[in-house]
Amino acid sequence: MIYGDRTTGVIVTGATGKQGAFHIALMNDYARQVGGRGVVAGVSPGKAGQEVHGVPVYSSIRDALREQDASVGVVFVPAAAAGDSVMEAASAGLSLVVVITEHIPVHDSMQAIAFARLNDCAVIGPNCPGLLSPGEIKLGIMPVHLSSRGHIGVISRSGTLTYEIIDQLSRAGLGQSTVVGIGGDPVIGQTFTDVLERFSEDDQTRAVVLIGEVGGALEEEGARSADIPIAAYIAGISAPPEKRMGHAGAIIEGGEGDARSKIKRLQAMNVPVASRPSEIPGIIKNLI
Amino acid sequence: MKLLEYEAKTIFAAHGIPVPKGMVIRSATELAAHIPDLPPEFVLKAQVEVGGRGKAGGILMADQEDGKDRAAELFDRTIRGVTVREILVEERLAITHEYYASIAVNRSSKQALLLFTDSGGVDIETLAQERPDAIRRASIPLLLNRIPSFMVRDLLGSAPKELGAILQNLYRVFLVKDALLAEINPLVTTSTGVYAADAKLIIDDNALGRQGITQNRDLTEREREAEKHGFSYVELCGDIGVIGNGAGLTMATLDLIEYYGGHAANFLDVGGGADQERVMHAVRLVAADPTVRVIVVNLLGGITRCDDVARGIISAGISQPVIVRLAGTNEAEGQRLLAGSGYQMMGSMEQAVLAAVEAVR
Repeated sequence: MIYGDRTTGVIVTGATGKQGAFHIALMNDYARQVGGRGVVAGVSPGKAGQEVHGVPVYSSIRDALREQDASVGVVFVPAAAAGDSVMEAASAGLSLVVVITEHIPVHDSMQAIAFARLNDCAVIGPNCPGLLSPGEIKLGIMPVHLSSRGHIGVISRSGTLTYEIIDQLSRAGLGQSTVVGIGGDPVIGQTFTDVLERFSEDDQTRAVVLIGEVGGALEEEGARSADIPIAAYIAGISAPPEKRMGHAGAIIEGGEGDARSKIKRLQAMNVPVASRPSEIPGIIKNLI
Repeated sequence: MKLLEYEAKTIFAAHGIPVPKGMVIRSATELAAHIPDLPPEFVLKAQVEVGGRGKAGGILMADQEDGKDRAAELFDRTIRGVTVREILVEERLAITHEYYASIAVNRSSKQALLLFTDSGGVDIETLAQERPDAIRRASIPLLLNRIPSFMVRDLLGSAPKELGAILQNLYRVFLVKDALLAEINPLVTTSTGVYAADAKLIIDDNALGRQGITQNRDLTEREREAEKHGFSYVELCGDIGVIGNGAGLTMATLDLIEYYGGHAANFLDVGGGADQERVMHAVRLVAADPTVRVIVVNLLGGITRCDDVARGIISAGISQPVIVRLAGTNEAEGQRLLAGSGYQMMGSMEQAVLAAVEAVR
């Protein structure tokens, strides 16, 4: 397990919003299924005393921590307030905060991530589906029915593409240790490098699938530092330069980070790169 | 969103970065009316949001005599396919030296990256490859509201000290304008002072609202229509329309089309919550492009209701064939609805893409 397990208590910020409430229910369904603690508190300023699917709501994370034992936060608040929510979580002493919110201004992300770092708080996201350790814990919005427990780690900048690849892994009998959606924004907290470092130290994980996209160089940086067998898939080989493909992160800037050169750099480091998602299970079987 | 040069210069000037004297004209006649106020020699700069403007003929030298004709000539040109609607008329500077300064969001460090070189006026990417040592760099966490003085000294090296104030002001612009990039190339010295001879400012699309910008000009008309529905949409040149949920999955669908030798006509990510209404709008939007001959719908989600999606596709009532890959809840019902209306349902994204490529071959 990396980042959390059945014993981890979770606080959801933006608990009374539509998304927050909906996903508290799903996260706690999963917690019940696997015998975990799940979401123990919700936070929505001015809504203290309410309950969301049986979970008590507090006005602040500090208030919640006075009555509940939790170490991880999940943020569902709207973009304009999300940076501040990350800083609140870090300042209150949570060790990890997962930011589901999309469309956060990049300066807000940069400030919040820098602030969280000063408080020794890791940030996953923003603009991410969160993480799932099958049989242990779900933080965020990943569907659980495609996954199965096993020894393959998955790190991805995408959401649904991750589900596609989890599905293919599970069908090929390759269960997952932990699946981490690190987010599609240009600036994100935990990068491939950070997550790979945790996977290298995780006894359960034998190999890691790295699902990347056009833009930036985070995939190569991660692969360079990896101390565990990895296979990669990079989306966006057909993406035209200077065009934004949905994710704010998936934009090629002046020839930097286009898929072909990214794939070439990964292959130069002896990382096998799948040209189609369906090739991934085969490559992973060769690695382990 | 990329600002035009004169818009960026107005912002720079308001933050204490000197810019050349200039005015914006929208016709050659407008220039003629202002000839008496202009210096003997001046520069005409097409205001278009494309790179390599100078090389593409977007900048002309002019004087009092030929100014009107030169302006007319420039208005008649298209610069890399873009029509010239506005021209910035500027004084000609007697340049003594050219520098380069920029501040950008750096993904790897998650900080602002400052670049400075005394070899300005060049293509910075080429310089970075050929003489990387010529570019000085500094990284600043956005928790700081100014550049520490030691960094300014390191950046400038032997360049004139007064450029330090320009760097500080450029960092202010970067911060208050939610910039992804604030760039001066070239930053020039003349006998009378320091000027931003060119200016580039890219504003974060996620911050347009709080920057008071209501319309993103970088989008085409159909892209703007898509934005209203909350879709991410990009026009491409092929004949296979693509609708997916999630940027990564949609991109992977496009890549698979290319892998099998087909060509995608667009990228459309419907985003989260693919319900009947949104799917219908998405299908209609893609089908409205006359080059689209077949549409692939690739939707995968834990909570996506396949029956809703099927109803959306059917109610769009378009003429092109639609090939569908759906995974989520109520799959069987979705399948039954689509089959009943004559649509093709595929079990995997690979099968769906193959069928679409075959259909247009």
